[in-house]
Amino acid sequence: MPTLETQQLDEVIASSRRRMLTIGGAALAGLALSSLAEAQSATLADADYLNFALNLEYLEANFYTLAAAGVTIDQMGIGLTGTGTQGTVTVKSGGPSACKVPFTNTLVQSYATEIAKEERNHVSFLRGALGSSAVAQPAIDLVNSFNGLATLLGLGLTSFDPFASDINFLLGSYIFEDVGVTAYTGAAPLLTSAANLDAAAGIQAVEAYHAGLVRTVIYGLDQSATTLGAAGTARAVATAISKLRATVDGSNSISSSRMQGDDIGLGTQTVEMNGVSGAIASTLVNATTTGSINAAGSTGTAGSMVSARSATEVLAIVYAGGSGKGGFFPAGLNGNVK
Amino acid sequence: MRCRVKRKLIRAIDGAISRRIFLAGAGAVAAGTAIAGCGGNGSSMSTTPSNPSLTDGDYLNFALNLEYLEAEFYLRAATGNGLGSADSGNSTSKTTGGTQVPGLTMVQSEYVYEIAQNELDHVRFLRNALVTSAVAAPAIDLTNSFNALASAAGLGSTFNPFANFSNFLIGAFIFEDVGVTAYHGAAKLLISKTNLTAAAEILAVEAYHAASIRSQIVAAGTTLIATANAVETVRSTLGGGNETTLSATGIVAADTTNSIAFERTTDEVLHIVYGTGNGAGVKGGTFFPSGMNGNISVTTT
Repeated sequence: MPTLETQQLDEVIASSRRRMLTIGGAALAGLALSSLAEAQSATLADADYLNFALNLEYLEANFYTLAAAGVTIDQMGIGLTGTGTQGTVTVKSGGPSACKVPFTNTLVQSYATEIAKEERNHVSFLRGALGSSAVAQPAIDLVNSFNGLATLLGLGLTSFDPFASDINFLLGSYIFEDVGVTAYTGAAPLLTSAANLDAAAGIQAVEAYHAGLVRTVIYGLDQSATTLGAAGTARAVATAISKLRATVDGSNSISSSRMQGDDIGLGTQTVEMNGVSGAIASTLVNATTTGSINAAGSTGTAGSMVSARSATEVLAIVYAGGSGKGGFFPAGLNGNVK
Repeated sequence: MRCRVKRKLIRAIDGAISRRIFLAGAGAVAAGTAIAGCGGNGSSMSTTPSNPSLTDGDYLNFALNLEYLEAEFYLRAATGNGLGSADSGNSTSKTTGGTQVPGLTMVQSEYVYEIAQNELDHVRFLRNALVTSAVAAPAIDLTNSFNALASAAGLGSTFNPFANFSNFLIGAFIFEDVGVTAYHGAAKLLISKTNLTAAAEILAVEAYHAASIRSQIVAAGTTLIATANAVETVRSTLGGGNETTLSATGIVAADTTNSIAFERTTDEVLHIVYGTGNGAGVKGGTFFPSGMNGNISVTTT
């Protein structure tokens, strides 16, 4: 006899066939709740999530390729065509070549070159995996987006050029990488194909490598008092970026100087372990530690794990709080998740 | 209800459910079959676990062994003391070696404390998730293990990763990339969506660590880079390749053609932490002289 619960189960069966045969009934009830909460997931296929990721990779790949080489990704032979509306990249007034960062730190320049290559590879990989269903590169804005975000930081900045210097480039990178990590983390359990899940986990890890690299370098450079004028130290700017991300995605409900919803800034935290109380630790990882709160044997606590963001939360960030478009994507994303 | 609150609620429910599945063991599989029979088309099961008799609990316990190792290493480096009885499941510690790293600058100390707290949190999370099925910490050797690795890498007969910060970076380097490949390899084998999400959330943290350690070694210069790469060569030999030579443009350990991070099978990971090359039936060695605890502890290939 059909009941609400069996109808929900049927929905789950349609959207989560991969897990169907091997999990218990109790878990199915959990999946049913999940699919109701994430209304989108019931009707979206793996390709929709991969295309969502592809939009983000177009953004990252162009940012890093402009910073490292002064060209857009199509000038590096990466395809831009596909479904939806193809757009162009808004760059500094001098054109793509004016976006090449005048690096003074050769290590930072090397890092930029590596990340640019890896993000282009992600674009190529996703385009290849999606084949004819791959979305076209949407319109991307790498000028007004950063200026708008700078204003929102509340640090007195009215503009921000991520291509102006080593530290500006690193802060621009900081804006993207942690978001990429949380986006792939949120999407991974929604994928039904094991191959797609495997690839997504592998790309997520690379984004986390990037994020860890960028955060470590900013933290290290800050030791030699790298500042951003009146806006304060690079760490302070990074922390303001984290706070802004957590504000626009709606998660900033925790009133702490460091812990900002699903995003933590770049600074220090107090940890307690092995009877050592009040030890000072860095926040190179974008994950909240629980310190003494997460005592041995307690239940239901989870510390030192990155957050998973829903597509809606990620969109809120890349649209800079705009509805359906804005920020880095002035015409919105291409595909079914936008 | 706000979406975020709802999601937290669902996570909590999923968590409780998955804990019950661990306990249910084979019973859960039977229940799944019954449910499939009453409503679903059951048309595809696209993944076949490498060993169908292994459960999520087995893979999480496998991860827990690795987290015990990492936590013991970092906690001892940070404070001189390892996991307490409530965190290890042992009334007295079964770990040998490891002392507080001397002479750290303030910033270096901050880095060590952060990773130590992260790995301790991972141990606690997995123990909490596994409840009574959680394995206790196995015997862990933090002295002879590093000496043996150093010999294999041609770095001399002894190596003490607790001697100074540079050596600590090399010690950390040994673990972090392996952690990434282990979680990546396990992700697709997990059945429960809750467990998968948790594994992905931990995987990312290990990758943050790995990049941080790799970039600090690169910044330290050519001598330390060469040391790290000597170790990496050993790791590659033991663990089926899956390595990117460390350099200023080789921070990320990933396939160079598609820039997707490497993954390892449980056997490949066991061969690395046991310090023994290919072959079935290896039960322990190097970091785990008596082997890991749990159902994934002996190599099958």
